[in-house]
Amino acid sequence: MLEIEKLNYAYPDGHQAIRDINLKIEEGESIALVGANGAGKSSLFKLIIGISEIKEGSIKVEELSVGKKTLKDIRRKVGMVFQNPDDQLFMTKVYDDIAFGPRNELLTEEEVETRVVNALEQLGITHLRDRMPHRLSGGEKRVIAIASVLAMNPRVILFDEPTSFLDPQARRNVINTLDSLKMTKIIATHDLDMALDICDRVIILHHGSVFADGTVKDILLDENLLSQCHLELPLCMQKPRVR
Amino acid sequence: MHMADALVSPAVGGIMLAASAGAIAYSAYKCKDDLDEKKIPLMGVMGAVIFAGQMINFTIPGTGSSGHIGGGILLAALLGPFPAFLTLTAVLLIQALFFADGGLLALGANIWNLGFYACLLVYPFVFKPIVKKALTPTRISVASVVSVILALTLGAISVVIQTLASGITELPMATFMGMMIPIHLAIGLVEGIVTGGILVFIYKMRPELLESSMDNKKLPKNLSIQKVLGVLLVFAIVVGGGLSLLASSNPDGLEWSMENVAGTAELETSGNAYDSAANIQESTAFLPDYGFKSTDGEGSAAGTSVSGIIGAGITLVLAGGTGYLIYAVKRRKEKTA
Amino acid sequence: MSTITDSMNTINSLEEMAEGDTIIHRLHPMVKLITTMLYLVLVISFNPYNITGLMVFAFYPVILMALAEIPYKPLLKRLLVALPFSFFAGLSNIIFNQQLALMIGPMPVSYGFISFTSIMVKTIFTVMAVLILIATTSLPKISYQLLSIKVPKIIVEQIMLTYRYISVLLEQVSNMYTAYILRAPASKGIKMKDMGIFVGQLLLKSFDRAESIYVAMKCRGYDGNYLYAKPSPIQKGDWLFLVLVSGILCLMRFFDLSLFIGSFL
Repeated sequence: MLEIEKLNYAYPDGHQAIRDINLKIEEGESIALVGANGAGKSSLFKLIIGISEIKEGSIKVEELSVGKKTLKDIRRKVGMVFQNPDDQLFMTKVYDDIAFGPRNELLTEEEVETRVVNALEQLGITHLRDRMPHRLSGGEKRVIAIASVLAMNPRVILFDEPTSFLDPQARRNVINTLDSLKMTKIIATHDLDMALDICDRVIILHHGSVFADGTVKDILLDENLLSQCHLELPLCMQKPRVR
Repeated sequence: MHMADALVSPAVGGIMLAASAGAIAYSAYKCKDDLDEKKIPLMGVMGAVIFAGQMINFTIPGTGSSGHIGGGILLAALLGPFPAFLTLTAVLLIQALFFADGGLLALGANIWNLGFYACLLVYPFVFKPIVKKALTPTRISVASVVSVILALTLGAISVVIQTLASGITELPMATFMGMMIPIHLAIGLVEGIVTGGILVFIYKMRPELLESSMDNKKLPKNLSIQKVLGVLLVFAIVVGGGLSLLASSNPDGLEWSMENVAGTAELETSGNAYDSAANIQESTAFLPDYGFKSTDGEGSAAGTSVSGIIGAGITLVLAGGTGYLIYAVKRRKEKTA
Repeated sequence: MSTITDSMNTINSLEEMAEGDTIIHRLHPMVKLITTMLYLVLVISFNPYNITGLMVFAFYPVILMALAEIPYKPLLKRLLVALPFSFFAGLSNIIFNQQLALMIGPMPVSYGFISFTSIMVKTIFTVMAVLILIATTSLPKISYQLLSIKVPKIIVEQIMLTYRYISVLLEQVSNMYTAYILRAPASKGIKMKDMGIFVGQLLLKSFDRAESIYVAMKCRGYDGNYLYAKPSPIQKGDWLFLVLVSGILCLMRFFDLSLFIGSFL
């Protein structure tokens, strides 16, 4: 459903962020996109949602290629959950924030409400409906950010570091939420334990290109491979070092 | 400096609200036409930055005192005059509601004093011409200092005029001005230097951020902007000067008309103060028939009798008692429920 | 730093109060906005020497606070912060107008003193009225109403956005400030020469943040137009409250209860 062909991208300052990426992603896959800082994860996301302009190569979402003319439709198909929920949630009420996307589709207020209520119910956060985002905890904000994307009924969701800055319980809660979503997911993360939990495929980016692509077992258990791209085994696979 | 609700008269508050509303409407209209949609979130975040930034105390060398940043000129340099004015308006409203900085009736005066001069007058006519020739650190610094001082002084003069026109204080105009202007010149100097420092830093790190608001792409329209600003300037002078004359010859329109309608003043003027009120000396008045001093007994002496003051005390106790009663009843209901 | 924590606490406590559910909280925000404005106008319309008529207006804040179950302490604390400017503006009246107005027993009272008292009382009343409004009505609710009185949408958007990000920015500033002070323990604040960099950095970060927000908005179909739900209509009960309270307030303006009580003495 998502096809990336011969994708190259350089920032205006000349830094080559993406080098010749070719990828094919199937409907319903749950993919962990890993790699050291600066490996090109965010750049790739920006290209998929059309924030950075594609100059070389192509990205297709369900046969629709990403470009200036198709942006509106692409963004209906592709949702993105930002790393910092404070960037994503900018309204003063949870309800309005989740309604932001549907309202931009010019739905009637009843349809908007149905979408919002469905999203809230699906994630089990109906009680947060009338709260103010800035008064919520980090974990709650994360889940609402997911709801705000869910309300747009996307076909694929991109997650940018969904578990960063969370306490263990909130992290677990977010992981369970992610696992419950059945659409196609691409999760950019350093949290390899989460990848082990809920992903079936892992793609390693290194210096802007795909370094490895395979099943979770093949990649996340290969210590040698991981260390080559500044990563290490998931914590649960490491030998405990207790002093 | 924020004007407070209690320091403006309904007339002054109303006229300043109307004046600011006009400036807001015009700015909103300008933004509708040529505002990059990208600027909407930027303005909001910048408003929050100014809000939080004003709480940073910095130490002023050699004085032992501390200052904080203003914001009008800084915002205008980063966002352009109209977006900056709207952003500052939002900040002032939030401050008025949550911090009792100013108030709702004085909001118009505060928007005018702190926002209008800096964003819509000083920035386009002083700051911009200075940096237009060449955007260099020196020019940015000079423009910042001059602009901030000018904007603050204009604001301070307005505060004096608005307060006096409201007939609240009996301070003679000369004394009031003499107190306000030197203070604001000094504050302006410090604030201007800091503003310059901030803008020079931005210029060195990300020059495009300054230039984007500097090179008004829609410059052909500039002429009309200046015309309108010219009109607004005249309006400012009319509001500042004319209004104070008007207000002082009829110190409190609403008060006067109310007493007329109600006709209660006569009932209450039986106190011994009535006579003395009638021959108040005019020596301290800054205008011969100004405010307090010319109150012809009507209402002015009302309530200045001893019995009236005792009555006022009882009224307060009654009010407090009522509140206590409601609390008590509510608590009892909660207990029984 | 204390001012930052202080303002965070103020906003927090007022927001918490606004989450209450009393008869006053449930009133239509527009009704509360109108009555507050009316109250303010009536209070400041009093002549500077008429303090007895003014006193009746104490009933409004006291009754509203009781009905809305607002704790008075945090409000009074905020009030104290607002008083000094009025105090100095009023102080000059005592100095410049020493004309004798009346004697309370052996104590002479000047006109200046009376107008000073009037300024202070007005300050207390007006500040309380505004604080009560925000303590019973959340800012988003008030902003929505601004739309229906034709305030340009861009202003309402700015109020909402600024309000949303105040807590984020306050936290950021407070962290940066702490980091600075820890490395400059002798300094009482940021050194003036460092302010350019300090605020400059804050601004750069904020530009990036605004960029992210914009991207996030774009991802959800934003095209320069912010859309809101229509505010709920004013109910019968709201109308009743509006008419009743406005009527009483106007009545209070013309009827001097203090003098009435005083006349029996």
